[in-house]
Formats: sequence, structure tokens, C-alpha cells
Amino acid sequence: MAGALDGIRILDLSWGIAGPLGVLLLAEQGADVIKVEPPGGDPFRMYDGYKVWTRSRRSVTCDLKSEAGVAAFRKLAATADVLVESFRPGVMDRLGVGYDSLGADLPRLVYCSVPAYPPGHRLAHRPGYDALVQASSGQQWEQPGWRPGPIFLHMPMPSMGSIFLVPSGVLAALISRERTGRGQHVSTSLLQGAFLYTTQIWQHIEKANAAFHELMGKSYPPGVHQGMIFECADHEFVHVSVMSGLAPKKTMDEILGVTPPPADQLEGLLPLQQQVLMNDRRRDAFKERKREELVDEFQANNIAVESVITMEEALTRPHPQLDANGMVVTVDDPDLGPLIQVGVPINLFGTPGEIRGPQPRVGEHNVEVWSEVGVDAGDVAAVAGGA
Amino acid sequence: MTDQTNGTGPLAGLRLIDFGQYLAGPFGPMILADLGMDVIKVEPVTGDGMRMAGKPFFGCQRGKRDIALNAKTPAGHELALELVRRADAVHHNMTKGTAAKLGLDYEACKAAKPDIVYCNTYAYGLKGPLSHFGGLDPLYQAATGLEYEAGATQHGNDPLYYRFGMCDAANAMLSVVGVLAALLHHERTGEGQELWTSLLDGGAVFASDAMVKPDGTPVPRPRLDKATTGIDPGYRLYETQDGWVQVAAVKPDHWDALCTTLRVDPSIDRTTADAQLEMRFRTRTAVSWSYHLDDAGVPNEIVVDPKGGDLALFDADNDRLGLVADYEHPIMGAIRQFGSTIDFSETPFRPNRPPPRIGEDTKEILAWLGVGEARMTELKDEGVVTWPDESYAAAW
Repeated sequence: MAGALDGIRILDLSWGIAGPLGVLLLAEQGADVIKVEPPGGDPFRMYDGYKVWTRSRRSVTCDLKSEAGVAAFRKLAATADVLVESFRPGVMDRLGVGYDSLGADLPRLVYCSVPAYPPGHRLAHRPGYDALVQASSGQQWEQPGWRPGPIFLHMPMPSMGSIFLVPSGVLAALISRERTGRGQHVSTSLLQGAFLYTTQIWQHIEKANAAFHELMGKSYPPGVHQGMIFECADHEFVHVSVMSGLAPKKTMDEILGVTPPPADQLEGLLPLQQQVLMNDRRRDAFKERKREELVDEFQANNIAVESVITMEEALTRPHPQLDANGMVVTVDDPDLGPLIQVGVPINLFGTPGEIRGPQPRVGEHNVEVWSEVGVDAGDVAAVAGGA
Repeated sequence: MTDQTNGTGPLAGLRLIDFGQYLAGPFGPMILADLGMDVIKVEPVTGDGMRMAGKPFFGCQRGKRDIALNAKTPAGHELALELVRRADAVHHNMTKGTAAKLGLDYEACKAAKPDIVYCNTYAYGLKGPLSHFGGLDPLYQAATGLEYEAGATQHGNDPLYYRFGMCDAANAMLSVVGVLAALLHHERTGEGQELWTSLLDGGAVFASDAMVKPDGTPVPRPRLDKATTGIDPGYRLYETQDGWVQVAAVKPDHWDALCTTLRVDPSIDRTTADAQLEMRFRTRTAVSWSYHLDDAGVPNEIVVDPKGGDLALFDADNDRLGLVADYEHPIMGAIRQFGSTIDFSETPFRPNRPPPRIGEDTKEILAWLGVGEARMTELKDEGVVTWPDESYAAAW
């Protein structure tokens, strides 16, 4: 069965996370993605995790610093519906393939740019590696940790916001094109990706009061959800959810064997000392229990809980629900062999998505793609550039 | 980008009915409203269960019209289906089986509108051992390794919860991409379809650089240091005399320049360079180091204390470029929140509508459905619908 984006061709010139992973979400819903790399390849390829983010596409190399390269690239762009690039504002223009130039020739082209900062922002000329945007956006400072000061976010959060903005913008523009016949320039940025995840905590509300702020305010030690992480035996951790959507058959205290406060007393209204005592008793009780047994018992009693594990463990065990969701898959990599990795996270019943192959080798499809757009066999080397 | 004209957005003319509550339901439709879609929030007459939480509610609702109705009543159910008949897409995050009980599952909606695009965002997933559970963001930060890595738990620290609640947002955003893919397919073929996403899978996307060989050997990926400052002496936070600087010395010449600027021997063993660099960074201010590193070509940024977000929400560049939205709420006054996340050269649009009160647009929407004034009052008296009136107290 054809995917939802069957017949849509995307040229992916992006490096890093936002572009490649954003495009992956489109590639695995059926788009024909061609990764256009500089001679020698996208520099982020040195990172193994990139094998996931750049799978399901073909690869060509193109020397955009040569006339032959630019000319061939324009021919290729004429066959495409979408172009995605992640350079600093102005770089594509200097190469002669900016939106003003390419879009004028190709009015149906959807041209998506995802730099670190939007054009016109005072930081737009600065380097835009993910952690730098974590710093400049304020995200690192917003995250409390075990010491004062900013916390480095291991999960590259600005980029991981943009991975959704890239495909959303591209698809919205393609839908618009169906109606107007016209493509357009779609712009987002890592900074906007960072802001996406501030939605629950960053608002300025004129008539809010302290209580309104405190509910979601930053605190030391970190707030309400952090307090539901418990250490079990053998220095293993669980995270208990404050709700499961189901009626518990037993309470957490019953399972742990902790005597709860009398039924007519709300725990949150007890003297602070007593609250601390209750919390300590629970923490002690957790430490007595083997994690796997406890998780089974909690879940059997309708209390939602998860083991705090690494993603590698989630893939290896595998996590039973991740497995049921089809999210644990094996992809055969031409260099590293079979690799267990995440599957396709969007499930369309009418047009199911699928993984369309491993990360291609640098320029693996040079001959096939460049000859398709009319580059003579003898000229492919000049277009593709040196290795 | 700097064009201030507010057009109608790339999705103008498309309509979505949002039956969701809390976060992973409503956030996706909010983003679709930002893209110009006409989003109608169908809210219980008692209010979205998230309203009492304040910010997390407001953060997911701008740009929507709102009808408050009790879909469990026959009249309310019929009105809900009438809305579906006039829509292109339906979206919600009800737990498994709930929509069927309400008569608002895919089959029911498809009967009302044969080519409807129908999206359900789940906590765990559609089928499987935990699919009957609802659940909150922390479960998925735990299950997909995010908390383990965030806290550098491998060094003996406790796991650390990211306070951004981004598994909810990821589920919502996956659903946005899915709904848009399905709508594009609909534009091209006339076919509707059903789709789903989950919080769990959203978390997995965040950790999607993890890979394991069939024998269980993990393929290495960067890990955080014990002090949670970064993943390498060249890619981490350093404390200065008066604040912090993030350094991103990713290329070999960056590293040499970093060391030279800090007067540390560039040939130092990189795995043991932290202590010397830390000591040197403490001898000057953040601004001073940042200028010196800029001069030397070392990517760096001073870490901003956002003051609970206000610094970003009142930043002149963010404001001018539309990265901030502000609107007037009838009860809460002026509200600021992040603005456009995507800009469109030919179909510009800026979010400009505050989160609705319960049933803010009930009367307007009922009139559009052909319900007369007298019948509206009856429906309100019967508890089928509601709208804000004099008695509408401090309910947000």
C-alpha cells in the first residue's frame, strides 16, 4: 500500500538533528527523500546515532561550490516538491540556491529552512549547535537539578522541538499548494523548537497570583513529578504516576505496607514534619522491594508506574508496550550489521508508514539520481565532487 | 518573516473538531489552529479537566473556538456529530474505549462524515499489555531513558525529570504531523482515514539515536558527566566568576582555540581537561569569556536566566519576529506566550485569539448549526450546553 506522501519528492540538504529527523517523519510516510550531501558527506555522519535519523532515503553528493554542481542541483530541484535546509540564514543564497532564486524559477516548490535562529534575530549570525540554543533560550536555566545553576539537557531539546516543526510546516505548505497551486518559503528555527516545550511553564499572565505561578514554578529540589521517583533495591529506580486513568485496586501504601494517615486527614494538610515522615517511610519501603516485582504488582493494581531505564534497555528487553506499538525494529546497516532501533511513531491505518531502508552510504545513488535528471555519465564526477 | 500582515494561514478553510482534554489532546489542535485551521474545542459543560491547573491549560488552548456540551446526552451527542459532519478532521486523547462509549469513535464519525480524518492520541498505545492505562508524561520520560540520562544516573545520581513535560508535547506534535499527512492524502485522493500516536512513542523519538546490536551490546552514544554540565570538556557548561557559559568546541580547531584562549595547553589529554578549564573559567566574567571565545572562533553562548520565561516573552527580537503571542483574556487580562513556531511566506498567520472560557462560542456555533435562540436556552436549561453568563465566576 502506498504511503500518505507517495509521489512527494523531498531534497534534504540539512545536517544535524532538526532537519534529518524531521524529514524522517515524512520519509517513513512514503515521501521519496534524496539526501543531498557535500562532497565527502554530511559531517554529522561521524555520529552513529545519525544512522537512525538519516535512514529511509537515498544519498547523492553535490558540489554546490562549482557551477556544474549548482546547475545539476537546479535540475534536481525542478523534480522536487520540497527542499529542506538547515544552514545559517544567507548561506543558501550565497551558494546561488536560496529561496529567492530557486523559488522564482520553481513556483510550486516548498522550501523549508530550519536554522538555529530566525533571520533578523540578533543571534542569527552566531553558531547554532543545539546546546548553544539551550543556553540562549534559557532552557538550561529553567531546568532544576542537584546543584544551583543551569543543567545541560542531555536530550537536545531545541532540536527535538524543531523535528516536529519541519514536517508540520512542510505538510501545511503542501496542503496549501493543493489549493493555490503555489509553493512557498517555510521557516522555523531551533529557537522556536525550544519555545514549543515551554508551553506549560512560560506564560506571562497579568492577573495571575503567586499560587497560580507556584503550581508550575521551578523549585529546589525539583517539583511534583520529580518527587514521585523512588529508589528500589539494588539502586534501581521507578517513576510512579500520580494518576493512571483507572481505579486502583489497592493503594500504593497498601502495596508498600505503609500505614497511611487517618482517612479523615488530607496528607497535604498535615504538619510538614509528619508529611516528611510519611515520605521517608515510603522511600524506605521502596528500597526493600525488588523493582521488577514492584512494577508488576503496581500495574496489576492499576497504579501506573515505569522503571527508570536507559533507552538501550527499552530496546533490548524490549519494553512490552513499545514492542506492541511496533517501535522496536531491526534495520540492517551496511556497515554495522543488524541494529535494533526505534520504528515508525505515526500510525495511519489507510496509508501505513514503513522504514524504507538503512542510512545510505555517501553518494550511494549518485549515478542513478544524477542521470535521471539528465547529467551525462561523464559529468557525474564533476557534479558530485571529490570523495 | 518580518512581514506583520496577518493573513489566514496555510490551513485556512480546513476545520478540526477537538474533543480532547488535558495536554496531549489539546496541544496538537492548538498548533493546527496556529497554522490557520478552524479548530472547534468541544468541552464538557463542567470544563476541561486541566482548567484548574492554570498555565498547562492556557498553554494548549489559544486560537480555538469553544462549544461546551454534554456529549453523553442524546441532544448533545447529535450536536457533536453535526459538528463532525461539517469538519475535515477529528482529534482527541480519550483513553481506549471511551470514544466508543460516547458514540464518537471512528466508526461513528465516519458514518457522519465518510471522508473524515480521525486521530486518537493515547498514553501507551492502541493495543498491547499497558494500552488500557492512561498516564502522565513522567512515565514516558522514565520508560524511554530520558530521566536516566538527564540525571546522569550511571554516575550514582538520581534520575532527573525534565520539567518541560515534552512527552505530552511530542505525542501532540506527532499527531499534528499525522493529521497533516492524512489531510494531504485526502486533498490528493478524497480518502479519509484513522490514525493514532502515543506519549510512549513520543518519548522514544527523543531517544531515537539509541541503537543496540542483536547480542545486546549498545552502540555508544554521548552521556552526561556526573555534574550534569555536558558530554565532553569541549561541549559543556562552565561556571565563570558571575554566571555560566556553554561551549561547543565541536571541530578540532575549536578545541585548540578554546584551550589557547583559556591558556591551557591544547595538547592536554582531553579526557582530563575539565579541571584545568574549570579553574580558568572561574577567573573572569561570563561576558568577558564570551567575547574572548568569539574572537577566537569558539562557538559559545552565555547561559540566560529566563526569569520564569519573562525574559523571552518580553525580548524585543522575539516580539518583533512574532515569536511571542499576546492577547487579552476576559478574566486573566493580558497573556503572553510563545508565538509562531513556523512562518509561511505566502500564507502568513500569527496566533491572536486567547484561550476560550468554557463555552465561549457556544451560541455562535449553535446558531451556525441552525439552532434557534429559544432552543439554545432550552438546551442550556437541560444541561446539554452552556456558555459564560453573569454567573460565570472565576472559572477559567
